[in-house]
Order: sequence, then C-alpha cells, then structure tokens
Amino acid sequence: MSTIETTSTGWRPSALRQGRDRVRNRPPLSVILAFAMLLLVIGWSVAPGLFTSQDPARGVPAEAFQGPSAAHWFGTDHLGRDEFARVVHGSASSVTSALVAVAIGVVVGGLMGLLGGFLGGWVDATLARLVDVLLAIPSFLLAVVVVSALGFETINAAIATGVSAVAVFARVMRSEVLKTRRAVFVEASLLLGGSRWHVLVRHVLPNASRSVLNLAVLQFGLSILVIAGLAFLGYGDPPPASDWGLLVSAGKDYPLAPWLVYTPALVTIATVLSANRISRWLRKTD
Amino acid sequence: MPRRAYLGYALQRIAQAIAVILLAYVFTFLVITVLPGDPVSNTLNNPENNFTDDEVARIIAYYGLDKPVLVQLWESLGRFLSFDLGISLRSNLPVSRLIGDVLGSTLVLAASALAVAVVLAFAIAYGTRNLPAPLARPLRAFPSLFLSVPNFVIGLLLINIFAFQLGVFQVIDSEGPAATLFAAIALGIPVSAQLAEVLIANLDREARQEYATFATSRGLSRSRLFWRHLLKPSSLPVITVLALTIGELLGGALITETIFGRTGIGSLVQRSVTTQDLPVLQAVVVLAAVSFVVVNLVVDLLYPLLDPRVDLRGAPKRARAVEESSKDRVLAEVAR
Repeated sequence: MSTIETTSTGWRPSALRQGRDRVRNRPPLSVILAFAMLLLVIGWSVAPGLFTSQDPARGVPAEAFQGPSAAHWFGTDHLGRDEFARVVHGSASSVTSALVAVAIGVVVGGLMGLLGGFLGGWVDATLARLVDVLLAIPSFLLAVVVVSALGFETINAAIATGVSAVAVFARVMRSEVLKTRRAVFVEASLLLGGSRWHVLVRHVLPNASRSVLNLAVLQFGLSILVIAGLAFLGYGDPPPASDWGLLVSAGKDYPLAPWLVYTPALVTIATVLSANRISRWLRKTD
Repeated sequence: MPRRAYLGYALQRIAQAIAVILLAYVFTFLVITVLPGDPVSNTLNNPENNFTDDEVARIIAYYGLDKPVLVQLWESLGRFLSFDLGISLRSNLPVSRLIGDVLGSTLVLAASALAVAVVLAFAIAYGTRNLPAPLARPLRAFPSLFLSVPNFVIGLLLINIFAFQLGVFQVIDSEGPAATLFAAIALGIPVSAQLAEVLIANLDREARQEYATFATSRGLSRSRLFWRHLLKPSSLPVITVLALTIGELLGGALITETIFGRTGIGSLVQRSVTTQDLPVLQAVVVLAAVSFVVVNLVVDLLYPLLDPRVDLRGAPKRARAVEESSKDRVLAEVAR
C-alpha cells in the first residue's frame, strides 16, 4: 500500500519521473480490453434489446440446430431460438447475482473484519473463529447447502455465493485494519485527540478500501463462476431463464451442436478473465 | 527448535482445530434448520414418499423435531460426538454407511486431481523460468486463464474431445482408469492454477535474492539454479496453499462427478439436495470441514519441522500471528 509506506525515493530528475509516471498511469491494452468486455456485459444486462433484436423465448422450429452464422451469431438451439439473444438476455441475471454476492461479501465480511481488527479482544477472537468455520467448509458446498435451505432460485444462489465469500473479505479487511492501526499517522491522530470513530472513518477505512476493492473485483469474477456452477446443477431459476450456466447445462445434451456449450462458456470465461485482469492491474498499480 | 515451544504451539493448534470442527457442525445445523423453508416436514408429508404415520412419528421422535431448536442442536451434537451421524431420511440407512459406500471413489478422484494439479503447477512454473521468453511469457497467463474457466466447461470439453471424438475413454465406464484420469484433469486444472500462481510468485521473489544473482554470476546455468537453489524455498509455502485447496477439491467434485457420471460424495450431495435429505447433507458438510481442518492442522504442525527458518521461540501466540499473516497473504493472492 503506497498510502501507508511512504518510501523516500530521494531526488529524481523530473523528466525521468514524469516519463515513468506516464507509463504507469496508462493501462496496458489487455486491461482496456478487459474493461471493454465488462462494459459490454453490463450493457447486455441493462439493455439487452439494444444488442439483439431477436426474442430469446421465441423459437423457429425450422431453424433448429443452426451453426453460428451472420443471422444467428451464436447459432440456434433445439427449439430454433437464437442463442446469442439467450446469452444477452441471460446476462442480466448472471451479472446481478454476482453483484449481489459481492455486495454481501463486502458488507458482511468487511464489517466483521473491521470490527475484529479494530476492537480486538474477545470480539476479534469470536469473529476469527467464525471466519475459521466459514473457511473450513468448502465454499461451493456451503453455497449448495445454503441455496438448498433457501430454495432453488437465482437470487438465493446469489445470496449463497455471497455467504461463501464472507470469510475471505473478513480476513483481508482484518489484516488491512491491523496493518493500518499500527501505522504512525493513526497513532498521531489518536494522540491529537481524534476519536476512535474519527480514526476509523478518516484513516483506517480509506486505507483498507483499496485492497477490498481489488478483492471485490476478483470476487465478482469468482462469483460468476460459482453462480454458473449452481445454475449448471439446476439450483437457480428453472429453464425459461437463460443464465449462462443453465445455457451450458442445456447445451451439453446436444453434442452435435457444440456451439450451444461453447458460446455461453466463452462469454463466461471472457467475463471472469476480464475481472481477474482488472483486479491484477489494480494490485499492481497499488 | 526448542521442544517446549513446539509442544505449546501444537496443543494450541489442536484445540483450535477441535473448536472449529464443533462450530462447523453447529453452523451447518443452524443453516439447515433455522433458514426459511421446512424441508423435513415437506419431505415427510409428501404423499409421493410413502411414509406411514408410524414412520413419520418415529423419525420426528428420532430427530426430536417437536422440540425447540436449541434442544435439537444439543442432542444432535451429542450424537455427533459419539460418532453417530444419524439416519438418512430418504433411504432409511445410516448416513455413515451411505458415505462410506461412496467415499472411496471420491478419495481416488481427489487424490488423482491433486496429483494432476501439482504436476501441472510445477510444469508451468518450470516453464516460466527456463523456457525462452517468447514461450515463457504466455505461459504466465495460464494460471489466470485456468482460474477463469468454469470447471464444468473443462469437463464437458474433455468429454467432447477425448470420449466422443478421439474415443480415448468410454463415458459409460465412468469409474475406469481412463475416465478417472480425465475427471481428475477437469478437477485438477483450477487447483493447479492457484498452486502455479503462488509458485511463480515465490520463484520470482527467490530469483531476485542476492544468492541467486551470485550463483548466476558464478556461471550457474538457469536450470541448475532452478533445481538446486530456487525450487526448495519456493515450494515450501506451496504446501500451505495445497492444504487450503482441499475444500476446492471437495466442492469441485460435486460438479465433476455429475458431469462424468461418477458415484461419489458429490453425487450423494446432489441427490440429498434434490430430495432434501438433511442428515446426509449435514454429515457431508461436517466431513468436509473435518478433512479441511485436519489437513491444515497436519500441515501447520509439520511446517516448522520442514522449514527450520520458522521460529517458534517466544510465545506460541507469536507463531500464530506469523502463520495467520502468511495465510492472509496467500488468501489474498489466490482468494480461494
């Protein structure tokens, strides 16, 4: 965290410094592509009608099992429905669920880490054991159990994924808080008469937020994978919905129409890869 | 290493492990019981299931479903402590027998997947350091790519290519060695990505150390430097990551077993989820937590013996702080 460690680099020629800073500030091409991919997917989920004019639910039986073409970019499925339209219309549910999962992880896990790290003592010890428990249960298994207790719906799958992500956020937040609490400027702020609340809001949170943001981006990608896995197993909304995982699951029954598996799979991979790339870039520019 | 410091550390870790297992049991119980939806009475009262009134009364009495939740929890915990995992609501068989029947298959799959993951991770890490740059650079993107592919897609891809097109293995013979190998590859690839990521980061860090520069300037070849000097200090932390991926193997088995049509813990969970067989679910989750905790306990206890640089002198508390912070780093790096 450059915000904490003020490394004294000494004097550097300004020309050199500017040059280096400029190079550091311009994101590499792959990061720009990753942002573009995420923007595209978000666009699909906000306004699917802008990206495809075809109806994802209306099938033309005469056009069943057509390979990818100019008319049907991702081909058609067994009912002659346009696969591209189904992917585009399914992204709203995939993206929203991933966001819900990340929000749960950030808020619940972040709060746990913040309280444990900042208050210490028995609060920290109790929360630490709870996090240990959450870490000990395989996250996908935990998601399956939670979703089976709540009922098979996509929103429940999102909640379950969020619950399984709480532990990681709590851990990272706690270690960031501990790191910041030991910093000299926090001590100074307390000595100057700053209240604990003031220190928490003004110093600890802003410093921890960078790592948590970074983790949140990474977790967005992971959540898409977990939710796709749950949908694949049939723990999300039932078939008229077109979650990406569900599309792959439906497509796998037709080995002679491999595009039904590969196109939603490729969209999923590209989205997750983009989130990973951005998260990695954020970590590097830290 | 002073024996007393180690003993204190070991005792503390063991106590912690036992506490986590018990808490995991309580946590799962509460998730299953308290969350909305009452699958037990749904199951019992579902006419399709053909429970007679007599059986319903017996099951309710056995699980104490008419009692308050805390009493149920206490009794259930008591049974767990005497190694009684209960009776399946669906098949009327002891849960321990249902699990015992399928455990072997999942263990074989998980162990093979782990082997695949380790071999793959080391191969990738070796390549990034010893291949010429045009090949090594794209190799560095592999872990990140592997982490982005849903493991059901890897499984479907392997089946499509190797079973349907090349005929290397038969999908029908789902427990045969060839099918097991491909299932292990599907399960192992995401795990290998996490291992490779940590391994590459460690190798990079070691390669920047002065001893590595010195060895190079003495004229050591790249591969000799890798094998003789960089590999050992870089692989030790990988053991910690390996232990952390146990959960991933068990969770991933759920999907891999479904795709490859294997009978195992994963398919047992699948069946129990669709039929709401809660005692089985509870047992599997606790079993997973136990294996995770035990494997991590063993690794944590072995680690100071393997790596003489880990210093346990001083309070065991400090050792835990060190270990926890290193785990946080790993977690942040791979984020499971």
